Amino acid sequence: MRLRPFALSEPGTVGEAVAALAAGDGEARLVAGGTALVPMIRLGLVAPDRLVSLHRVAGLRGVSTVHGHLELGAMTTYGHVERHPDVRRGWPLLALAAGRVASPAVRSMGTVGGNLAYAEAASDVSPALLCLEAGVRVAGPRGERTVPIGELFRGFYETALEPGEIVTAVRVPALPAGARSGYVKFCSRSAEDKPLVGVAAVLRMADGGTGCAEARIGLGGAAPTPIRAPAAESALRGAELTDATIARAAEAAAAEAEPLSDVMGSADYRRRMIRVWVRRLLADLRAGRAVVGSPS
Amino acid sequence: MSVTVEFSLNGRPCCVEVPTHWTVIDLLRDRLDLTGTKGGCGEGVCGTCTVLVDGEPARACLMLAAHLRGRALLTVEGLERDGALAPLQEAFARHGAAQCGYCTPGMLMAATALLAGHRDGAAGRALTDGQVREALAGNLCRCTGYHKIVEAVLAAASGA
Repeated sequence: MRLRPFALSEPGTVGEAVAALAAGDGEARLVAGGTALVPMIRLGLVAPDRLVSLHRVAGLRGVSTVHGHLELGAMTTYGHVERHPDVRRGWPLLALAAGRVASPAVRSMGTVGGNLAYAEAASDVSPALLCLEAGVRVAGPRGERTVPIGELFRGFYETALEPGEIVTAVRVPALPAGARSGYVKFCSRSAEDKPLVGVAAVLRMADGGTGCAEARIGLGGAAPTPIRAPAAESALRGAELTDATIARAAEAAAAEAEPLSDVMGSADYRRRMIRVWVRRLLADLRAGRAVVGSPS
Repeated sequence: MSVTVEFSLNGRPCCVEVPTHWTVIDLLRDRLDLTGTKGGCGEGVCGTCTVLVDGEPARACLMLAAHLRGRALLTVEGLERDGALAPLQEAFARHGAAQCGYCTPGMLMAATALLAGHRDGAAGRALTDGQVREALAGNLCRCTGYHKIVEAVLAAASGA
């Protein structure tokens, strides 16, 4: 089945892309990897008259480290992020989450910037980027700015991006020294699905003690957007990581989530699974186990 | 609206004019008469249209044909060498790793990427059943023939 026809512009610079979005008639959409946009066009959920492709824009691809920060070009694919030695060494949480996205074929196409601009609620990567407190670099008709990822997601598939703005890069600060991090994903149907619930966490233990000095928890599939779980984080901060503390944090995460019902599972089921998977991830991080995929 | 796209197709230069709203599978099947690549869900989920772009698996139903510019596309028609099936294809035939055959081209391409990556990255270490299943997780077989497919890929990996 053919896609509904659209015109295509293929600018060579970010400035030209911004101009191309604004120029011409009808609805324009950006296309990066196409893993989200093309199915939406096919299903008739969007009907753009023009696509502006980012494929020929120079400088949007690649991974680099700048003053201890990780810089990801918006067109960098999940597969690239997953395999990059600097990401695996310094930001293992991000490599782990990127490696859990869908299937190898989708990971070789889907891009970091595209996923953020799409604001997928059940994203694997967004909970990790929320925990890592990434900054999202944006270019638009009024220049460039950085949107803290905590302020990017505004509602169901809705972001703080202004009309005509383009995500150009993601800047990820270094993890605090000694921090433990992990991502777990629970799929109710098949392994390559979006997560019914995805949980990312960063824990920093107090120096020389067993108390938790800092906790960050990011959730996917738990609300209309990817979210942090501040009540769960406060339940952990400054506390000894006992089973009871972890259970309280998991309970808090389930309570503060605002899950939706869909074909993957009901809101009630999601809430229960948030409790289970937050608890399991925290217990594994406490034990110092490297968390890969689904913990036991 | 059309665009001219130059790319490498199964090792040979290719230049086509293609409508801007065509995806790679439209181009392969309806312009280039390469019907080995099968269309399935059209949403990137079933894996039957899997091709390799610059050596990495990609969904032909999701990728705009215009985005092939400057890249190397490998389809199932490009697997054989000098008229002989590739060892992976031989292994599929020998292990009976096909029933209706509709998912087979996509399975072959996903497995080809896995084997190439494994050769480059993990010299000397045997490919595991789990690695094969993970690499093929995005390719559905509705005849439920997964066991034979996994066996065939493992056999090809070990040179058996």
